[in-house]
Order: sequence, then structure tokens, then C-alpha cells
Amino acid sequence: MDRRDFLKTGGVLLAGTSGVYGLRVLTAPDVSKASDTGSAVRRRWGMVIDLNKCSPDCHVCLDACRQENNVALHGDKRWDIYWIRKVEIASKDPARSMEKSVPLLCNHCDNPPCVQVCPVQATYKRDDGIVVVDHHRCMGCRYCMIACPYNARYFNYKENHEWPNKEYPKRSHGVAESCTFCAHLLDQGRQPACVAACRQNGPGALYVGDLNDPQSDVSQLIADNTVKRLREDLGTEPKVYYIGL
Amino acid sequence: MEIHYRTIDGNSKGYYLLLLVLATFVVGGFVSVYLMCTRGIYLSGMTNRIPWGLQIIMAVFYIGLSAGSLVVSGLYGVFGKIEYKPFARIAAYLAMLFLIAGLLSIITDQGRIDRAFIQPFTHSNFSSMFSINPALYMGHIMICIIYLWALFKEKGKLTKVASVTVVLWALSVHTGTGGIFALTPRELYNSPLLPASFVAAALSSGAALMILVLVGLFRLTKRPLDDGLVIWLGRLLAVFIVLAMYVILIENGHRYYLIESREAARSFLFGGFHSVLFWFGLIIVGSIIPAILLFKRATGTSIPWILFSAILVVLGVMCERYLIVIPGQTYAPTLFPGMEVSGRFLEEGVVAYHITLLEVLQALGVFGIIGLAFALGLKVLDLLPTEARTQRRFSSAESGATGPAND
Repeated sequence: MDRRDFLKTGGVLLAGTSGVYGLRVLTAPDVSKASDTGSAVRRRWGMVIDLNKCSPDCHVCLDACRQENNVALHGDKRWDIYWIRKVEIASKDPARSMEKSVPLLCNHCDNPPCVQVCPVQATYKRDDGIVVVDHHRCMGCRYCMIACPYNARYFNYKENHEWPNKEYPKRSHGVAESCTFCAHLLDQGRQPACVAACRQNGPGALYVGDLNDPQSDVSQLIADNTVKRLREDLGTEPKVYYIGL
Repeated sequence: MEIHYRTIDGNSKGYYLLLLVLATFVVGGFVSVYLMCTRGIYLSGMTNRIPWGLQIIMAVFYIGLSAGSLVVSGLYGVFGKIEYKPFARIAAYLAMLFLIAGLLSIITDQGRIDRAFIQPFTHSNFSSMFSINPALYMGHIMICIIYLWALFKEKGKLTKVASVTVVLWALSVHTGTGGIFALTPRELYNSPLLPASFVAAALSSGAALMILVLVGLFRLTKRPLDDGLVIWLGRLLAVFIVLAMYVILIENGHRYYLIESREAARSFLFGGFHSVLFWFGLIIVGSIIPAILLFKRATGTSIPWILFSAILVVLGVMCERYLIVIPGQTYAPTLFPGMEVSGRFLEEGVVAYHITLLEVLQALGVFGIIGLAFALGLKVLDLLPTEARTQRRFSSAESGATGPAND
């Protein structure tokens, strides 16, 4: 193949590929709309966390989540995954003494930046507002981790060899993941693992429920208490509410 | 005006040694990518707090270099500077290779490389800059090929159209690349000025590298190159440096001024390793010193000083690329304003990024691929002219030549 043929062939190949790509641009679906996942009832799941009940030495929610969802723990802070983790916060202002232990997890935002930036629509929002990752589609670009303002996204840097709950899949290395509000349990009418464990073995600080139902626990708690959400200024409309923050 | 191009002989020991070294880099890169694909990218220095590392730094560096190369190439096609026509082919070829290197760096950085060749085409999401940019990159490569073809075939009008298109397209490519960072809610990323500073730094780094490549190639192949051409490129580089420094300083001043990003900007600008890299690496060594050297008559007309300045600029922009990618991750978004945050489960607060040997091998592998493509390209394609003279000499030889349309 001489230079002329090489350039011609290269040009034709690239033109063809770009043409197909251009067609994809024109016909791309609007991912900002929730996908149809077959949910029977139009719910909008949200969580309320009562920080007045949450203590620093309690981590039953973390353990239950790990057990239920096969979340990888490699013994190294750099690569360990916590769908729910806890941080201790203390006021920098000495005049305002405030110390809290705060569980942090995916906020399942109504306007999720992770969904917006995912180049392959592996991250999507279900009809009921839960943000999930299709682990068979994720190509591991980690843009969602960059875009998430809550640091609630994790990456499987290593293979996870632990598989305590055989009824739930574990993820291979090379894909991103985050809390799913235990969507597989909610779909069965059960409580997420962290909420159930907090009720049974902890202080009962976590509540999950339908934000569209004014009679639900979470709606009542939001109505009766002063609640805050994290980084509301960003317009992400997070669905995790904190009492006592 | 007639310019003669000639391939290099490529028979010397030095040439074959260069090919061997580059091929070794490629093998090392493949080994590194294979290990990361099979075992996981924990073998890199990336963590759950620093999910983007050296490959993304190199990607934005390469993509930036392509802009500057295209501007040098476009001096003839866009601005009608006939004396720079001899550089048009080699600069356009390099721009294309740099862009390919950027794409390769991004692809080899994926957690699941196998899916990177399928999913973006079958499930693209054009609200993501990561979907928009590959489309821009591929279009850019395609236009570069057309532009190169027009240059090779001496198609005057097509060259003009293609060069204008490719330079404008390059602007959108680089704005889009800056947008990957600028459109995320992190204090040290989120700025409308970031794409502008990215483009400005891209122009200066690309022009600097072109000066180094051109002078190096002409000297190595013992082809005549008029100093006047390099001196003018040096002045152009000086203007780019000042422009880049201005936008970068404004961008960071803006961050420091805003209450919500002040704490992160203060840590970035006035504390720790990043501030040393910013003030010493980027501003003093990479911008102020080369700008002074290039503007000063004595040094700005001396080829060794111009080359020295160009090296400083390339190093400075490497610092800038590092500073675009890494600090925005090391300083996590503030979730609790006015609070001290600590945690025993994960890395909280300010964290560090340590590059590993395998990451370096991966980056060298990409460099090896484009290095080989460049070295072999010089041997099989008529990229390099037999000489490059100033306009005065061209004019005396052939009056009336003012642009590509007149060829």
C-alpha cells in the first residue's frame, strides 16, 4: 500500500466511524429522564438520618451494608469501598461547640451529576429516583467519581474475593459503584440493610421511605424537624436529609 | 514558491537505536496495561479519592500540544505566512500524532478497556463531556488527515479551507477538554476560565515543542534553517506565554476571591507541594523567565536561548497540566463548611497522589507509539523540507507568493 492508498483508506475509515458517531449524537436519548425500570408505583425514595441518635462508636449500618451488598474491603484506605461511611465533624468556631458523627452515602440526587457525566449511560436514575450503576456497561472511566460532590462513588481497583451474600452479585475490578438504597430489597417491600440493622441493633437513626407519600415516616420527619441536605447550593436536589446537622 | 521535501535516510545507528528505545517503551507500556487490565488499576497511584492520575495528565498535555502544533502549521494556511509553509506538513503530522496520543492515554486509563471500544458507540450520552470530546477528537484527526492530504497534494484552496477548519476545530477540541474539568462541582475545577486557560497553555506548550522539534530535526538532518524563522516563532511563543499566564492568574484569582472556593484556593496557592509547583514551576520557571528571555533582544534573537526558553515552557506547561488534574481531587469538595472533618474508614481531608512505576511505563508506552510513528513517518513520508528560508529570500526567488491559494 503506498502513501496515497494509506491516506485514502484512513480517511474513508475515519469518515465512516465519525459518521456513525454523528448519527449517535443526533439520535441519542435524553438520559436526564428516568429510565423505565418497570416500577409499579411511582415512588420517590429518600432517607432521613437523625444525627442526634448517631454515635461515633456505632457502625452497624456499615457492617450490614457490606454483608448485604458484598462491598469490597481490602484493608487499605485507598481502595476500600464504603457504600455508607461515617465521618466525625467538629465546629472550627470555638464559640459553637458542635460534634457529630455523620453517615455519608450516595444522595440519590434528583439532578445527579454522575448520571449527567457518564459517557455510556451506565449510571442511570430509576423511576423511583434511585441512582444505580449497570456494572456490565460501566467502562471504568471514573468521571462519575470526579463529578460526585459527595465523594460517594467508589471504584473497584482490585478484584473482590469475598462474596458473603450469594443472592446479590459482586462486582469485578474496573467498574464504579455506590449505594443503591438496597433497591433489590426495596423492590421486595423490605428495608435497606443499613436501615434494618440500625433499627434492630443500633439507635434507630436511619429512616427510608417514599418522599411522595406525605404519610411516610420520612415525609413526617422532614415536616416535623429542621432538616438539612448536603451542598444544596449545587442544585443536585439530594434525597438524604439530616436532622441535627 | 517551490519547496522540496525529502524523507530522512534513516540508516544511521542513531536512528535504529532510537527505534529500539521507542519500541522498548511500547513493550513496557503493553506489559503495564496488561497487568492493570488483569489485576486492576490499584497498581497505579490512583485511589478512591484520586481517581484520575498520570494518564489523564498526559492526555491533556498531549491534546494541548496538538493545538500549538496546528497553530504553527496554520501560520501558512490560515495567516498566509508563506515562509512558514515548509513547517506546515510536519506540524500537522505532529498535531495528529499528539491527538492520537491523547486518545491512547485516555483509552489505556479505563478500568475496562474492552468496553471502551464498544459502549461509547452503542450507549453514548451526549450530556457528558466524555462523549462529546471523543467525537471532537475523531473529527479532529479526520480533518488533520484531509489537511495533510491537501498539503501533500499542494491543493492551494483546499489547504486554506482545511487549515482554517482544523484550527477552529482545534479550538473547540481544547475548549471541550478544559470543559471536562470546568463542568464538575469541585472547587479547583469549576471555573468558566479553565477552558480558556487550557487553550492558552496549549498554544504556548505546542509552539514551544514545535520550536524544539523543528530546530532539532533540521540540525540533526543537517538541513538549512534560517534563524529568522525560529526567532519569529520565539516571539509568537512569548505572546502565548503572556496570554497563558494572564488567564491562569485571573482564573486562580477568581477562585481565591469567591468565598466558596477560597479555602481550597488558599491551600492550592499558598501551601504545600502544589503551590511550589504553581509559583516556581509554572509561573517563574515556565512563564516569567522564558517570557523575559524571549522578549529581550539579546536573548530573544539567540537560538540557544530560544531553545532553552522553549524547554522551560514545556516543563512549565507539564506542571500546569498536573495542577489542572490533581489538586482538584486532593482537595475534596467541602461538604461541611466551617467544620473539621475526620474519619477512620477512608481518606478524608487533603490527600496525596503518588505516581507508580507502572503508570510511568504506561505513559512511556504511549510516547513510544507516537515516537515510532513520528520517526517512521519521517522516513517514509515527505514531511521535512530540504531547507527553510525567510520570506525575503523566497520573495527574491519568486515574487508574488503570498499564500496557499497562489501556489
